[in-house]
Amino acid sequence: MTVVLEADVIRLRGDCPVGDAETLVALLQEVPGRMVDLTGAGTLHTAVIQVLLALRPQVLGPVGNPFVDRWIAPLLPMGRSG
Amino acid sequence: MDELLAQFLIEGRELVQQASEDLLALEREGHSPARLDSAFRAVHTLKGSVGLFDLAPMGKALHAAEDVLDAVRGRRAGIGSGFLDPVLACLGACEAWLDAFERHGALPPSALEQGRQLEAALHRCMPGAQVAETGGPAPSSPTDWATALAGTQEEAVAAARAAGLTVTALRYLPDADCFFLGDDPLALLRGLPELIALRIEPRSPWPPTAEYSPFTCNLDMQALSTATAEEIRRVFRLVPDQLTLVELPASATAVTVAAADGAGEASARVLRVDAARIDQLLDVVGEMMVAKNALAGLAARVGAVDAGLGRALADNQAAMERLAGEMHRSVIGLRMVPLSQTFRRFPRLMRETAAELGKPIDFQIQGDEVEADKAVVEGLFQPLLHVLRNAVDHGIEAAPRRAAAAKPATGQVTLRASRRGDQMLVTVADDGAGLDPAALRAAALRRGFGTTASIEALDDAAALDLVFAPGFSTASTVTALSGRGVGMDAVRMAVETLGGRVSLSSVPGAGTTVQLMLPRATVISTVLVIRLGEERFGIPIEAVTESLRLPVAMIQPISGGEAFVSRGRTLPLLRLSGLLRLPPRPRQGPVARLLVVRCGDQPVGIEVDGFSERTDLLLRPMSGLLSGMAGLLGTALMADGRVLLVLDVPELVG
Repeated sequence: MTVVLEADVIRLRGDCPVGDAETLVALLQEVPGRMVDLTGAGTLHTAVIQVLLALRPQVLGPVGNPFVDRWIAPLLPMGRSG
Repeated sequence: MDELLAQFLIEGRELVQQASEDLLALEREGHSPARLDSAFRAVHTLKGSVGLFDLAPMGKALHAAEDVLDAVRGRRAGIGSGFLDPVLACLGACEAWLDAFERHGALPPSALEQGRQLEAALHRCMPGAQVAETGGPAPSSPTDWATALAGTQEEAVAAARAAGLTVTALRYLPDADCFFLGDDPLALLRGLPELIALRIEPRSPWPPTAEYSPFTCNLDMQALSTATAEEIRRVFRLVPDQLTLVELPASATAVTVAAADGAGEASARVLRVDAARIDQLLDVVGEMMVAKNALAGLAARVGAVDAGLGRALADNQAAMERLAGEMHRSVIGLRMVPLSQTFRRFPRLMRETAAELGKPIDFQIQGDEVEADKAVVEGLFQPLLHVLRNAVDHGIEAAPRRAAAAKPATGQVTLRASRRGDQMLVTVADDGAGLDPAALRAAALRRGFGTTASIEALDDAAALDLVFAPGFSTASTVTALSGRGVGMDAVRMAVETLGGRVSLSSVPGAGTTVQLMLPRATVISTVLVIRLGEERFGIPIEAVTESLRLPVAMIQPISGGEAFVSRGRTLPLLRLSGLLRLPPRPRQGPVARLLVVRCGDQPVGIEVDGFSERTDLLLRPMSGLLSGMAGLLGTALMADGRVLLVLDVPELVG
């Protein structure tokens, strides 16, 4: 599992391929206000990143993946985990 | 192209090359008045001829380089070896400008700023010299998005320019259905070298959360990069229609046209002939060979009437044949040039790469006297440059890792060429980290390049071959793990276009060797002539592994096609008529005739109606309207005057 729901936090773990976008959208549409934890995220497929950009959930960092951290995280509403 | 310009471009490149070689020799061998004089003369001559064209920034930069070299020649105080870098940088820029001038008839908009920076750097290494005054920023005229993007990223742009880099703005609008096509647009941006800014916006406003669909790509990506337009296009080569590039014009000084400063001093030692004229000569020789072949038939007919006269004519015909053959070889020989024409450009580029990456490199060239067809020698430049840069970038380890492995601090990269009969072997070897087949297999599995079983079944050689798989080496994890870089598939494609093959071997920890086996002459090909109905076609002999006569009963129908067993393997059978989209014809007789042809790694049987002779032909590539036709390698004139179409079987099978 690369998209895991724990309490009200969706954790992305490791590399998330295109198929994870659908799972992520479903979890975000199901209960509004869920946060997404990117601390363990690896390479994220564009479709997954697009979900974050479009639905703008609160994102928890620091982001595990350097590319996402450098270029994508600044575009997202960020919080800190822990 | 106007003759003066054509001559200028040829001489200009030679002068740049001459000066670069002199300077690199100075660096290698220490002070040499003869080398310094030679470099000075080359720069001086180039500066003079530049004045004849609208190339002011180049003229000014060269003028500054000339001043520096003159000062070094005069041994004026305060000049160490610090002049080498700025003068070499100036020569590198001149080479790129000459290319741009040839393609577009003008220098790129960035040339003004780049020239100014080169000039300033050159002036800085002259003691007491004033750095040239610069004017204010000139109004820019790229498309609006690029201006806006650069405006929001002023710091990044300024920092890049301060480092002497050109900034290119790119806009990438992935197709809405690109996710279905398996594209990962951000992966391309991740693969982009030298990304300095990235902006991502929705193409149309985002829908409310409840209506969002994850299957449609709705992104407008804009980025700034200091990579060259060519490097960027290479990354986006599969989606060129979704990419727009704008080179950001730099701030500019007022243009003053440098006055022409005396004609070139270069004296002509050799006769320069346009390659097209040689090809024309080759055509005439080809026709002469055909005329000569007809003479043999005539001699036989005359011999039947008058034996003595026939013999005399046959003797004459034999002499003609020998002379025509000799002439043919001589003309082909005119197209042969030494590899040094391409190889000599690498030392300066490797020096640049090593400096950029901060890795000390000892770069050696061996065997550059080997000769090959001009097209092969020129076509090797891009793929070899790629392989050489990879060797420095990904092969040679960073200093601490080399120290830990008890390797000398200076990395070794060797470019070697040797003759192998009609072919030549070009290798690039480094003494770097090497590739780990296990890591490649793991990466292939993660990236979905096959099933677990198929990937585990790969032996080490096959695992190494994975780096040539399209899209494989661009995957970020692979570069991180194994260190072999971007675009080896492009290298393989370029080498195969030249009629060659590329392979790679590696000893983990000890280094990697890339081997390129290439034909030295591209024009003469041995083809197997085959029959299909009344038609005849040629197939290059190197594509054919064997020809078989097979009882029709041994051909098995399988799902939607046919197969047969050869040497214990089941091979697919395709009919040439089907591949050429000709109407199918029933098999004649109990025996089928087939060729076993290698398509990629997979042998395939191709059924034809009959085999004819094997012959050496002058293969002419398809030109004009026919050049886009898939499955055709070219045409050749047969001895009986008929035109033979030579097929590209792997492409037909596709």
